[in-house]
Amino acid sequence: MMCKNGFLAGLYLFFSLCSRAGDGDYAVSKIPAALLKNAHAVKRMERIVFDVTNTGEAILKRIYAITILDENGDRFGGFGEYYDKLHEIRNIEGTLYNAEGKEIKRLKNKQIIDMTGSDDNNLVDDNRRKYHHFFHKVYPYTVQYEVEIRYNGTLFFPIWLPREGENLSVEQSHFTITAPEGYGVRYKSFNYTGEPVLTPGDKKRGSVSWEVKGLPAVEDEYGSPDWYDINTVVLTGPTEFELERYTGNMSSWEGFGKFVYALKQGRDQLPVAVQKTVHQLTDNITDPIEKISLLYDFLQKNTRYVSIQLGIGGWQPFDASYVASKAYGDCKALTNYMYSLLKEAGIYSCYTLVRAGRGAHQIIADFPSQQFNHVILCVPLQKDTVWLECTNQTIPAGYLGSFTADRYALMITENGGKLVRTPKYGLNENVELRHIKSTLNEEGTLITNAVTDYSGLQQDAYHALINNLSKDKVKEVLHEELDFGTYEVLSFDYQERKGKLPVIREKLDITVSNYATITGKRLFIVPNVMTRTKRKLSAVEERKYDLVLGLEFKDVDTVEISLPSGYAAEYIPQDVSLVSKFGKYVCSVRLNGEKIIYYRSFEHYSGRFPAADYTDLLNFYNTIYKADRNRVVLVKNQ
Amino acid sequence: MKRLPLLFYFIVSALNTTAQDGKIKFGNISENDFAPKVYSLDSNAAAVVIADIGSSRIEGNNKGAFSLIYKHYRRVHILNKNGFDLTNISIFLHYDGDAEESLDRVRAVTYNLENGKVVSSKLDEKNGVFKDKISKSLLRKKFTLPNVKEGSIIEFEYTIISDFLQYLRPWEFQGSYPRLTSQYEVSIPEFLGYITLGQGYRTYDVNEVKDRRESFSLSLARTAGPTERAQFSSNVADRRYVINNVPALKEEKFTSTLDNHIQKIEFQLSEIRPPLEYRRVMENWEKVAENLMKAPYFGESVTRDNGWLTDLIAPLKVSSSNKTGLVQKIYAWVRDNFTCTNHNRVTTDQTLKNLVKTHSGSVSEINLLLTAMLFHENIDASPVILSTRSNGFTYSIYPLLSQYNYVICRAIVDGKTFYLDASEPHLGFNRIPLACYNGHARVINSNAEAIEFVADSLMESKFSSVFIVNDEKGNLVGSMVQTPGYYESYEMRERAKEKGKNQMQADIQKDFGSEVIISNFGLDSLDKYDELLSLHYDFDLKGEKEDIIYLNPMFGEGYKENPFKSAERFYPVEMPYAFDETYNLQMEVPQGYVVDELPKSILVKLNEESEGIFEYRITQSGDNISFRSRLRINRAYFAPDEYEMLREFFNLIVKKQAEQIVFKKKK
Repeated sequence: MMCKNGFLAGLYLFFSLCSRAGDGDYAVSKIPAALLKNAHAVKRMERIVFDVTNTGEAILKRIYAITILDENGDRFGGFGEYYDKLHEIRNIEGTLYNAEGKEIKRLKNKQIIDMTGSDDNNLVDDNRRKYHHFFHKVYPYTVQYEVEIRYNGTLFFPIWLPREGENLSVEQSHFTITAPEGYGVRYKSFNYTGEPVLTPGDKKRGSVSWEVKGLPAVEDEYGSPDWYDINTVVLTGPTEFELERYTGNMSSWEGFGKFVYALKQGRDQLPVAVQKTVHQLTDNITDPIEKISLLYDFLQKNTRYVSIQLGIGGWQPFDASYVASKAYGDCKALTNYMYSLLKEAGIYSCYTLVRAGRGAHQIIADFPSQQFNHVILCVPLQKDTVWLECTNQTIPAGYLGSFTADRYALMITENGGKLVRTPKYGLNENVELRHIKSTLNEEGTLITNAVTDYSGLQQDAYHALINNLSKDKVKEVLHEELDFGTYEVLSFDYQERKGKLPVIREKLDITVSNYATITGKRLFIVPNVMTRTKRKLSAVEERKYDLVLGLEFKDVDTVEISLPSGYAAEYIPQDVSLVSKFGKYVCSVRLNGEKIIYYRSFEHYSGRFPAADYTDLLNFYNTIYKADRNRVVLVKNQ
Repeated sequence: MKRLPLLFYFIVSALNTTAQDGKIKFGNISENDFAPKVYSLDSNAAAVVIADIGSSRIEGNNKGAFSLIYKHYRRVHILNKNGFDLTNISIFLHYDGDAEESLDRVRAVTYNLENGKVVSSKLDEKNGVFKDKISKSLLRKKFTLPNVKEGSIIEFEYTIISDFLQYLRPWEFQGSYPRLTSQYEVSIPEFLGYITLGQGYRTYDVNEVKDRRESFSLSLARTAGPTERAQFSSNVADRRYVINNVPALKEEKFTSTLDNHIQKIEFQLSEIRPPLEYRRVMENWEKVAENLMKAPYFGESVTRDNGWLTDLIAPLKVSSSNKTGLVQKIYAWVRDNFTCTNHNRVTTDQTLKNLVKTHSGSVSEINLLLTAMLFHENIDASPVILSTRSNGFTYSIYPLLSQYNYVICRAIVDGKTFYLDASEPHLGFNRIPLACYNGHARVINSNAEAIEFVADSLMESKFSSVFIVNDEKGNLVGSMVQTPGYYESYEMRERAKEKGKNQMQADIQKDFGSEVIISNFGLDSLDKYDELLSLHYDFDLKGEKEDIIYLNPMFGEGYKENPFKSAERFYPVEMPYAFDETYNLQMEVPQGYVVDELPKSILVKLNEESEGIFEYRITQSGDNISFRSRLRINRAYFAPDEYEMLREFFNLIVKKQAEQIVFKKKK
């Protein structure tokens, strides 16, 4: 990971001139009834002022008060703030009020806990955290905190997100940015009604502010959209900014890209020995894709991921010679190293910023700002573009996986940044193709052989399984994770076909005890042996938000089960065929002599659907859930 | 440790840790060492620890005291990238005021075979060792090795110089990777007595003692006057423990903690002997308990005159009719007013008065406050110290306080004994968390009684009953009432508090799917933490009126999977409690149908002693079906050789509980 506290964690907020609340201001009786619904806590007031002193410094002041209504609201009742070399916490004050709004207690500085904020993934970083909680257990109660943070540099601007989580309502929140006259503060708001208030201030400073009142508490829903889609949010950003001795202009992606380019410029010098290796490996090869694969393989075999994030090191890559000598680096360093290797081989590539993480698609494309937490490499070729994840020693060249696929990324070129999209893996890529041949014996034991090809995002988990674990561990996992009552894995084998679209073939021989239930003369058996969906939804009274379905995939299963002789069908489940805007599902069972033949195909689409579609989705999923567990009933011939 | 009354200085370093085993010497790496691609000890290990060698010895220092010198050397052959995690090294160092553990002489080198030659890459110790301050008393130092590739051999070595004589570092012979040799040498001079505690299933390949003489000297610089010096010689016992070919540690489910199974050796300072001034460090339990009760960081806060508690307790007394009632009131008050922020602590870090101000503290502080309040009311109350399951077992004979991590309170009122834990917000009176059922615990009072909390003694009884009848329209309707055991009630309570009652109902509805519609959902005694929870609801069965109806009489209850999935077992099975689960069904045959087939009734015993019993009994009488499924397991602990029996027993339960009743439409 490149980054320190990324986008959301950049919520460093503040205020100062506000004095303590008067007795009774925070009385719980003053909370409007509408704000109590679904709420475990109510933000009573908040004033945040972000004061840009100059491009090298800004001060954030935040004061806020939250009433905690019950035990579950306690998570809103504490104060916690990260700090590091670029963010200095200057002052923290806190006051506790009872239900009547009467002051009970004030925070004493020695009660603030100062702890490491280090991420365990990092070998070293400079993150620390200050924390406080009154731990009052008489509900409701109110806490007021006041904090001041100095920003050393202006790459990061705050985000105003008054409703910070589920089950929190907001009585009032106010956000202001002030800056020297002529300094272009940039902002973008979501779900904000009205216009911000612009105040051309005195002393050559101007300000812009936003305010909300009476935001009710919300509860999260299955498949709800990105957070900025459903909340009042204002993103802010700098124009001219500074980070240590580097400066930049954030008005456009191009400008931000120039800054990133400057941070990494001149860090691509490879030691002579490595240069030689590059030429040995690639000079006799003409196909650029082959060259890339060879050098990527060299990278994977000769480096590993070690993260060191100190000060500007959180943003600037270690140079290529450092990586060559230590054989390790973080995403910035390893990507820059790969860039340097390709450059030596005469192949042009781009250091590319991305917001990594499963489902982290929330780059706001029309608002240039520091929204990234990872770096990958993009190699644009004449016909094709090759993407390289440089922190992973096993992933195939050109494949990205769910960590970085299908999202915006910022390509850094000598001319600045350019927003592009990473490849999407869809219905025809994310496939699971399974053939099962089984024999059922008289006791109900199923002796089964399953051959499955997983491709695209459906192979990610298996890639990790076979590459990150020893064979013994894989066996242990298989012995715990399969969806059977009591079973043994007799043998297993995985073959990986690496490529731009990787495929893993899995072969399993399993014996499942009592797979069929035998009651007297009857035998009950579920013909869908291994692909029973776990998706199932609960009915809700009222769906509020749109539905967002992310992953597209396709599963196709064929199953053949040889039965013990002497049974006749009593019940064969009917064919199920569903076609909806969410996907297609088909399954069928036939009895062919002494064999059960089962077929299942499930296509799952992605998309955004109106809230009213929830019931349809529920019916779709729940019908499949049930169909996947349908049983064949056989009766022994008398 | 505090100043000893004699001052000495160390002269000869008699030991060379890394040279104990002729072959293993730092930097002594040849091409041949890279040859093995697979080790017979573990053919698919990602890395093999070639040698793990440690030593601890005592030397005099210039603070007028003694230091513990711990050296650790390790050589690892990295076979593939999954072994890279062994190349990131974390060292934890304690400190407390002036006393500290300091890291010294770090050396780390990676060796690679390049074109048949061994090439070494060294750690830059000046810039490559990072520190992270974890807490007021704990520091972590970290480094990583350079130039690591698949096939690399790495070596590192460091020394820790410690002022804490009472913390002679333990040695674990086993870890997540196999070890070809694991060796620990402990040199203890005659003037210090340590007891040695070993655990594990393997025997030592070497376990020897050699005696020798060594000269000790200490010095202490005085601000005024000359530096004081002292010197003397003493017998020193060099003890050496070696185990070769140690396989990797294996994880399994239903294990309290792997710490109970790991091969390790620990030490405890027991006495200081002549020529130093004799002092017993490790006393017997009575003395330890007495000292603890006097210690400002433990019992002194309980037994002192806590006059300030009078006002706190006064309102609780008003509504209490008798002594037991008062104990209950005080218990509930402490539980409901304080937040436990550390469930892993025996001593206190703040005064009880301060605890009352901050409203938050460790489990020891909260339960000592409870004890102090009861004590203040002249109730026979004592703290009890124990080790929770995840913290491992304790030795009942040795009072080794470092093994303990939890404090509860024992109160005796009118001859009745209550065990109380006010640190868990939803726990009931006279209940302690399951994690406390880990064997030996010790009452800290003048008798220092040993008590036992064993999981085998806990019996969780769960009752479920379902009634199904035909309504006037001929549809099946029913009701379910379930009373889980206390600890399941506790878990459900936690869930209900977190998710809300509605969500719990929705979850149950979701499990049933659309063919069963539940209504009148209720959870009784949700806020009565002392009592069992009761869950109940009504339901309509909406199934189609097919010619044949198949119905599982378990109605969603019971075991669908064998909890003992793995075919092999190395360690004992340690379940949280013994249990007795009874499920009853009374149902009318659906209107217009007849019973075609019923599952067979059976009664199975787990073993000859009937330590487990599974009863599956179904009968029909006219239009009524009575069904009962009962599973009782009398113990929570099963030895590894009983595993197969347990697995088979559950295999049968899963099979039986899947069986169906078959109804056919009347012709």
